[in-house]
Amino acid sequence: MILLYKPYYKLFVVSNGQQDDFIRLVDQNRGILHKVCRLYCFTETDRQDLFQEIVIQLWRSYPGFRGDAKFSTWLYRIALNTAISDLRKQRPPTTLTDPGELPTQLRDIQYTGEKEQQLQLLYTAINRLTEVEKALTMLYLEDKSYQEMEEILGIPQNNLRVKMNRIKDKLRKMTKEATYGIG
Amino acid sequence: MELDSLKEIWREAQPDEAHGMSRPDDAPGAGDRHADAYTGRESLLPLLQQRSRGPVARMRRNLRIELLCIIVAYVPLILFYLVEFQGRLRAISLLLLLVGGLFCAYYYRKSRLLSTMQCLSCQVRSNLARQVGTLKKYTRFYLLASTIVIPAMAILTYLIFHFRLFYPDNTRVYHSLSPAPWWKNSTIWLLMLVPFTVAMYYFNVWYINKLYGRHIKKLQELLREMDEE
Repeated sequence: MILLYKPYYKLFVVSNGQQDDFIRLVDQNRGILHKVCRLYCFTETDRQDLFQEIVIQLWRSYPGFRGDAKFSTWLYRIALNTAISDLRKQRPPTTLTDPGELPTQLRDIQYTGEKEQQLQLLYTAINRLTEVEKALTMLYLEDKSYQEMEEILGIPQNNLRVKMNRIKDKLRKMTKEATYGIG
Repeated sequence: MELDSLKEIWREAQPDEAHGMSRPDDAPGAGDRHADAYTGRESLLPLLQQRSRGPVARMRRNLRIELLCIIVAYVPLILFYLVEFQGRLRAISLLLLLVGGLFCAYYYRKSRLLSTMQCLSCQVRSNLARQVGTLKKYTRFYLLASTIVIPAMAILTYLIFHFRLFYPDNTRVYHSLSPAPWWKNSTIWLLMLVPFTVAMYYFNVWYINKLYGRHIKKLQELLREMDEE
């Protein structure tokens, strides 16, 4: 039996069974957490710190998870809220006025395969988006429906569609001179 | 290439590949990087015992340190003036007790605000709106409290000095030090406080903005970006 301190001056009792369930669920969704860290941090140390912080916040919030929403929706909310709120690990936003800069950077990267090359290109492009755009792009790439995106982000679906089209345009512009254009 | 066609590559990306996170050197199985001994449970379990290093957790920790400093500084002083000098300086204990009481109210209010500052399991937009709103309330309260603490202490000191401090023969210390009428001294005292309080106000505005200004601005930008069509 574990006593879990919550910042509302309450103690929650979490059984060992619940702890096991939690670890199993987080382990199953570990890839999502790693991708969030990869998108929102620029150094390895920051990524590890953010990963740790997200797991801590998930664990603290776990007693309040009643299964009303899907576990992945709940996990996305906490991971994105933690990543977006922790502004220390984010560099100042990059302006997108010079898309021609990107291919020069990309030529310096050693690629081992076509897929890795595309993935690296994708990450490089997404890193130049704003925090909100990154979240949206990630959910889109994870094949979430607009309804799920709305449940996670709290942005109306119509607005999400407009934003997503704008993001696609941005990504296309940023990569138009690269070997693989994204659009 | 279309973004949609990258979905498959994105989903296929392995966690370690996506994250670039390596196994710690002291982790089980670290000697053999290809071993599967480093399971999820082993790596996740130690994280559950760690303390949060998020912004709200840091603010809460700072507040606790502030409370601890006040207790460590005030309690011995209160006891000292209560029992020393044959109890003639008990009024100073009373002053310190009043200030300590005010600080407790300050601590309680700040602590309540911090506990409602974020809802991580809420939708991202509503969490951001909550953070911005609560952080603004927090900084307003911080500004108010840190600005009035000096004049409040000065006025309390004056009142105690005026009414509660006596020599052993029961004559007031205040009257023996200053033959001027009480209203004259009070006016001079208040006139001296006004510029000092104004200066403190502007210093606090600068200091609080330095501490939280950039954070609030960034959160507001994120919120605006989420709301814009």
